[in-house]
This record gives sequence, structure tokens and C-alpha cells, in this order.
Amino acid sequence: MPDKTVIVRIKRRQRPDEPARWEEFELRYRPHMNVITCLRDIAERPVTRDGRESSPASYEANCLEEVCGACAMLINGEPRQACSALVDNLEQPICLEPLSKFPLVRDLVVDRSKMFEDLKRTHCWIPIDGTYDLGEGPRMSPATQETGYPLARCMSCGNCLEICPKVNEHTQFVGAAIISQVRLFNMHPTGKLHSAERLEALMGPGGIQDCDNSQNCVKVCPKGIPLTESIAAMNGQVIRHALKTWFTGHD
Amino acid sequence: MASAVGVTRTSFFLDKLQSLSGIVPIGAYLAEHFFENSYALVSPDKYNYIASKLETVPWRIPLEFLLIWLPILFHGCYGLYIWWNGKANAIGHPWMTNWLYVLQRWTGIIVFAFIGYHVWTVRFLSHGKTTYADIAHAMANPWIVAIYAIGILAASFHLGNGLWNFSCKWGFAVTPESQRAAGWFGACVAIVFAVIGLAIIAGFRFHWTPFDTYL
Amino acid sequence: MRQPKIIIVGGGLAGLMATIRVAELGVPVDLFSIVPVKRSHSVCAQGGINAAKNLKGEGDSPWKHFDDTIYGGDFLANQSLVKSMCEAAPAIIDLLDRMGVMFNRTPEGLLDFRRFGGTLYHRTAFAGATTGQQLLYALDEQVRRHESIDRVKKFEGWTFLSAVLDDSGVARGICAMNLRTTEVQTFPADAVIFCTGGIGAIFGRSTNSVVCTGSAQSALFQQGAWYANGEFIQVHPTAIPGEDKCRLMSESARGEGGRVWVPKKPGDTRPAKDIPQNERFYFLEEWYPKYGNLVPRDVATRAIHKIVFEMKMGLPGGPAVYLDVSHIPREVLNRKLEGILEIYEKFVGPDPREEPMKVFPAMHYTMGGLWVDNEQQATNIPGIHAAGECEYQYHGANRLGANSLVSCIYGGMIAGPAAVRYARNLEKGCDSIPAGVFERERVRQQDITDGLLHQQGNENPITIWRELGEVMTENVTVIRYNANIKKTLGKLAELSERYKKINLQDRTQWSNQTLNFTRELGNMLVLAQVIALGALERNETRGAHYKPEFPERDDANWLKTTIARYDLGKICLEYQPVDTSLIPPRERKYTAAS
Repeated sequence: MPDKTVIVRIKRRQRPDEPARWEEFELRYRPHMNVITCLRDIAERPVTRDGRESSPASYEANCLEEVCGACAMLINGEPRQACSALVDNLEQPICLEPLSKFPLVRDLVVDRSKMFEDLKRTHCWIPIDGTYDLGEGPRMSPATQETGYPLARCMSCGNCLEICPKVNEHTQFVGAAIISQVRLFNMHPTGKLHSAERLEALMGPGGIQDCDNSQNCVKVCPKGIPLTESIAAMNGQVIRHALKTWFTGHD
Repeated sequence: MASAVGVTRTSFFLDKLQSLSGIVPIGAYLAEHFFENSYALVSPDKYNYIASKLETVPWRIPLEFLLIWLPILFHGCYGLYIWWNGKANAIGHPWMTNWLYVLQRWTGIIVFAFIGYHVWTVRFLSHGKTTYADIAHAMANPWIVAIYAIGILAASFHLGNGLWNFSCKWGFAVTPESQRAAGWFGACVAIVFAVIGLAIIAGFRFHWTPFDTYL
Repeated sequence: MRQPKIIIVGGGLAGLMATIRVAELGVPVDLFSIVPVKRSHSVCAQGGINAAKNLKGEGDSPWKHFDDTIYGGDFLANQSLVKSMCEAAPAIIDLLDRMGVMFNRTPEGLLDFRRFGGTLYHRTAFAGATTGQQLLYALDEQVRRHESIDRVKKFEGWTFLSAVLDDSGVARGICAMNLRTTEVQTFPADAVIFCTGGIGAIFGRSTNSVVCTGSAQSALFQQGAWYANGEFIQVHPTAIPGEDKCRLMSESARGEGGRVWVPKKPGDTRPAKDIPQNERFYFLEEWYPKYGNLVPRDVATRAIHKIVFEMKMGLPGGPAVYLDVSHIPREVLNRKLEGILEIYEKFVGPDPREEPMKVFPAMHYTMGGLWVDNEQQATNIPGIHAAGECEYQYHGANRLGANSLVSCIYGGMIAGPAAVRYARNLEKGCDSIPAGVFERERVRQQDITDGLLHQQGNENPITIWRELGEVMTENVTVIRYNANIKKTLGKLAELSERYKKINLQDRTQWSNQTLNFTRELGNMLVLAQVIALGALERNETRGAHYKPEFPERDDANWLKTTIARYDLGKICLEYQPVDTSLIPPRERKYTAAS
């Protein structure tokens, strides 16, 4: 082995029903390495530290610049994106585990389709009449744009769900990401027109009420989205909506 | 589109009610309770006078049931259910708010158990009539002092932190700044309650009546 | 009337737009994507989307946008279609705005526009510096809405293997593999639209995402689809070189006033901030006074190469130049460029608001792609359409910045209805095709997979891929010499031989990523040859294709579209005339305004 190496430990399972095992790899260090580079090196030479032939570890990755959300995993216990996890900033051995709150597929790959289903359940879209030319969109103040844009950068990586104590097998909690998306659509001039249906969805099982304010989500969001602000804002909206509809029959 | 409508709101309703009930009536009652008990810091007679006045309010049992016991039972039992629904991870991720989340649960169960003990000994075993001497007698036992001190500290924390949670969960404090302010407000409330509560214990234990100059 | 069935492969901007258009016509769509569509490569587009809405009082017009695009593309783009695209662009922006894209605003609440390369107008609408992500999300949301009412069915986690062609060569569906179960299955359809994006992986480290392998295009090419202008590869002037990929530093950095420079004294080791203005060489501004830092990408890239390799004026410690935004107020940077500055900070370290970024060109985009026929967006295989980066029509020899998003969306917009029209006019639909047609394609693909799973040897797919990337980047990107391209073709032949000896270290059949990657690698090797051959043959310099041995554009011989065909395992090149009916070719130079 060359002078400087990187030690990577990976929690592996070839199939979801298998017991997990840890494998340790020793890789040649290069400047600016990230966890993805490590995983590629392992795929090129899948031999463990103790000389045993293994197989490349499965993992999800796509853009490698932290905008697609694919490569979320637990790195030294923290949920984060593997692409922006630079080896120079990580304690070794670097421990890689799959996110634990989603069904495991294999090795570091999990199934996050729950998030996309929840976006559907909460009607996270602007219901336009059609793609034909209907002229300009609604005017929007720069201030609204500056509040909305950071929310719109949510890439559904799932880190906020992973870190949330209330996301687990006992609950159907939608998690901070979806709540924040509802805030985004309820803020848009057209989206506003349909805020009631999103709020209703947020009041259903697994809705916003499951949040117990541990405020972990905001600490792991790789995009720095003000998730706790979104949750509190939506709490206000659902409560006002609940009271208004209960007393007056409409929002 | 009505597809999202018609989903059950039960858990939404119960969760929000749980959060609210901790403030009103439970938190409000706690404030009242600490205030009334502070008469022990004036004089034993004054305390006995106030106690007997409270013990003879009209509609006492229904009032106690609706405003105190039922809310506490609901808040506690539903709180336990919420606890069971969560998986704390503060050991691996020791951020302050994450510890507050864990402490809120542990102080909750401590307070719930303490209230059970407190109500059983002071309300039922005494048949609803408790005098300064009864309490002072109990406080002579250092174990009981310890139990009360723990109960009071836990309740104070639970209420203070609960106020902060409430401000977020009801959407009163939205921005990070207002949430921080709500947090400080909760901390102040917790400290005030802890100080008053511990002073009351000290009053009973040491027959300490700092406010007797008012007499 | 029989309800047609449409399949769309690829869920980036073009694929999602096509999906929405088909779904709006009430026709069911099956949407196939390797990754969940929200993670498609379109998220990486940063700077913005072009449309001549003329909201800055500059007298911009779709015709000027059209002219800039054709001129920027060195007259190789399909003029009539580019004109239609530029005319449609303002309405496309309005549509995206209506879909809720958080475009930056002016104080009046209107869309803000910034400048981009290859134009003198503020023509680029933007949402911070993550415009592609924002547009993709808006379309993803619309598709999700159609999905919720069962107009769209998504097949995420499936990879396209091949088209199912009937005995008369008409496409009747696709054959795809489930990446989780490795199950190979066929799916009937009356028309298929390919929106499979870029080919960056062929160049190893590019600005592209992992899924941009060009595998689908290559598979279609090997089934008889024509591939046009493969040799035109855009190398973006400003990227951060990395071990795993090169990360784009958007042209918008220069659009907002960023400046490219090197120290006048080669090897100057002073920190950038300590080098006074008069000792800095702003070479783009000096060489191209009219366009300055906003010359088109091919021009900027060649300038940086010249500075670094010919003039030896690159920054000490590796081939790089400075991209400097540190003179722009922090508040402006945070509002307009935060997304990319954050990337620099996270992946490199220093705060670009304080000190200049170190950047170098990197492979970015393919102007070439599947040959398609004008407004039908139809390939030469009946029933197969294509839109987005995977086809060739819009950008000629060089793409202008912020034109890709508009071409993807426009392409998807017209491809969707075109495919439906085609499907409705079919005499017999895919349901009347004998099952044997599908079964034989499935068996053929299953055999390839089984072959790889059982193949013995000592070659590793990642090693072969790395070597492919190195040789392609070195010889078939910015500067091309025929001798080097020939060497590259030799190397590609060698890699193709070694490919047959690949040993999959993973022979399982559950979420086997090595298997899928190796299948893609086989297709990459073929497409690499198409690119190299096209580059070898084209003895001129045009747009991104630069041959020092042939430094001039040669309209007499080369104003034509390269078309590659695959015949019995051999790649043959043919040429087609280019439509220059609207704007006659003129000399392309950015030293002064055109």
C-alpha cells in the first residue's frame, strides 16, 4: 500500500433480508477525494483490507454536485450527501451505512419513493390549466421569490426524514421536506388558490401534527432550507384553516 | 379536487389538543397552584385559610375533574403514546434541541408519576383536606423533599420547554428569531416556576415564612 | 378510435415536457427513467434559460435570438427549427413561470434577465444559479399531477436496453431492464420518444451526471438509427476539476460581471488578492473587446487553452485560470449566484466572494445526437422520436449558454404531439404485433446480460472506462490532431477487445450496478468511435471542432451535417446539406459585433 491511504468501512447487505456485515477497504489517497471516489475505487478493486475478494458496493449517485439528492447515506453516522463529503474533512475509518428510515434495497441503496408519494398526496404542484400559451404568469414580489426560492431547492434527499425521531415504523410522518414544499406552493400566487386541499392533506394521518419540534431536520439539510421555519409557518396555516373551516364552513 | 379531503383528522386534533392542554388548563392551573401554595411562605394560618377556602369551592369535584384531572390524564396518556411513536437519537446527534426533545419526554413521565403520587397522598388519602401541618410533617422526611424537588424541577422544565414547543406547534413563532425568543421566554418561565416551587418546599421544610412581614 | 400508447425514455426536461404534452392530449404515457425523474441531469443546469422577451428595453427580438444561435453554432444548426424555437421561447418562459418556477424578479415583480455568452442582450431568465433544477422540478410536479390522475405511469429504476423492431423495421416498443431485479422485459408502444440526454461519461470526468452515458442513443444507433454531428462536443470554459467529475461554474458568473484572468507574470505565486489590477491579464476582455468575458464557450475554452498550454501563463499548481467575482457586492452574489458559489465553497474550500475561483475547461455537452427530422423530431426508425440533448438539431457546431434548457423544453413540446400524431395514423397498433417480435428482442437482450454475468476474464469495467475517458478527453475535445484521433481510434479498438474479457466482480441478480454499468460501457465504446470518426473526417475548424492543421471554416466542403450509420458492425459516415435558407453563412468572429 502507498504511504497515505483512506480506510472505508461499509455496512453491506446484498439483499434486504440478509443480516448486515461490515467490510473494510484501504484505498490510495489522492487530494480532493470524496466518498464517491472511494466507492468507485472499491468498485475498481473490490478487495477488502484483509485481502478477501468482495464485490462492488451498490450506491446511488448522479449529479455529484449536491443538486440531485441521490447519494444520501449515513457517513460516520450523519445523514449527508456522499458527493460533498470530502475525505479530507472526515474522520477515519469512514463508516458508510444506508439511510435507516427507508426500505433497504442493497448495500447503500434505499427506496425513497415514499417521499415522492407524499408529494403526490399533498398536491405539491401548481395546477395550471394547460401548457398552451395563456400569457404571462402572475406577478411576484422579489421578497416572495427570495422566500420561495430556498424552499424550491429541496432535492428530496431524505436526510431530514432520516434524522427525525418521529419518522419511523410507528408513524407515517411525511417529514420536514414535504411540509416545506407545501409552504412553497401555498405561497405562490396561483398555488394559493388551492392551499386548502394541501392543508387538508397535511392534517391527515402522518401529517404535520407528528412533528415534535426536535428541530434536527434543519441541522442536516444540505441546502440549508429553513425547515423549522416552514414547519412553524405551516402549523399556523393548518390551525387557522381548521378553525376557519370549522366555524365558517370555508377557508 | 377532493381526494385529500375526507381523510381522518383525529390524530391532528388530538395532537394539537395535547399541546394546547399542556398550556391551558394544565400550565395555567400549575401557575395558580404554585401561587396558592406560596401562602405557605406568608404564614401557616394564611395557608390553612386559603386551603380551606379552595377546599370548599362550589362544584369542586366537577371542576377538579374537568379542569385538572381529565386534562392531565389526557395530556399524560396521549403524551406517552407520542413518546412511543418517536425514536430518540440524541446520543448520536447531541444538538441542544434534540436533547430538549428527549428531556421533554423524560420530564413528562417523571411529572406524570409525581402527580399520581402527589394527588394520591395529598388529595385522596387526606380526603381532600390538607393543612399546613400535614405538609410540614411530610416534608420532615428528606426522601419526600427529594421527590417533591424532582417533581417540581421536572414540571418547571416540562412547562417551560412546552411553551416553546407550543409556540412552534401552533405557528406563533415562525422565524428563527421569534423561535429563539420563545425559547428564552420558556426558559424564564421554567426558572421562575422552579424557584417558586423550591421556595415553597423550603417554606414547609424549614417553617420559613419570608412574607410574614406582610401580615 | 384506438387509444395509442406512448413510451417516453428519459425524465429530464425534454422527457417530462413531452410527457406532459402527451398526457394533456389524453393519451396514456409510460415514462421510463434510470433514476427517479426528479434526480435527472437537468438539475445541473445553472445559469438560466434564453428567451427574447425584451424586458430590458434593449430591442431584443426572437429574430436576434435566432441569429445569435445560428451564428454561435457556426451555421450548422437546423435554421427553420431554431427559428421556431426562438419564437416559442418567450411563451415557454411564461409557461414555466405559470408552473411556479421561482425565477428572480425585478422590483416591479416581472422576470429578471441576465446576460449570457454569445449575445449582447439580457436574454436569460434565471432562478438563482440553479435554474435547471428549478425548471426540472416544475415539470416533475406537473408530471406528478398527471400521474395522480393515472395519465402517466412511471417506471423509475428501469434502464433502456433496445427498441423492439418488427420485421419491417418499425419500432413497436422497448426492451428494458429493472435495475433492482435485473429482470429484462419488453413494453409495447405505438411510438417511443427518447429524451436520454448527454454522453459525458464517454469523456470520463465531465460536467455531466453519472447517468449521462449516451447508452440509449448508442443502442439505437446500433439498431439502425442515424447519429448526426457526433464530433461536436462542447467543452465548457469554466469548471472545477475534480477526482470524480468536473463541476460546472456557470457562465452566469460572467453574465453577472465575473472576469477571467491570469497574472501577467507567469508563475506568480502571490495570493490572487495581492496581485494589483495592472498586473492582471484579463485576456478575454483584451482579445474580444466587444463580448469580453461573454464570448461563446468554444472561443473562451480555446483562449484558456492558449493561455495555459501555448503561452504557459496558467496558474501555478495545475492547469487553471482565475474566474473572479470577488469585486461584485456580496448581496448581489448571494441573490443571483449562491448555488454555484456554494458548490465552490463545499468542494474546493475558499469563499469565492472573497477570492477568485480556480477553473479549467471540461467536457460539458454534445451538440450532436440522434438524427431527427425537423418538426416531427422523428428519427429514421419509424416510431422513434427524440428530443433534448440526445438529438442534434438546435445547436449546430457550438451551443450558446442557456439555450439548452429552451431547446430541451421546445423539443419535448413538439415531440410529444408529433409522436401522438404518428401513433394515431398507424394502420395497426402495437397490440396487433405478434408476441414473437417482442420475445425475440427480450431473449436477445437477456442473452447479452447472461453472457456478461458468465463471462470470464481479468478486465475491470471501471478501468476500461477510465482509460476511455482519458483518451477521449485528451484527443477529441478542445484541440484535435488527425494523428491523435487515429491513435484514439486504435485505442478504442483495443478497449473494445478488452471489453470482451471483462470480469464482473458481482454476478448476483439483485441491484447489480456493475452489470448495468458494463452494459452501458459497451454502448459508450461504440459512440466514442462515432465521435472520433466524425472528428477525424471533418478537416476544418467549426464551432467547438478545432483542428490546428485546418484552422479555417471550410464552407465549400464542410457546411454539412455528419450522419453516422451502423452497418453490420461497421460505422459509416455520410453527409447531408444544411438548411441555410434564412440566414446566409457569414464569417464568425467575436472580436467585434457581428
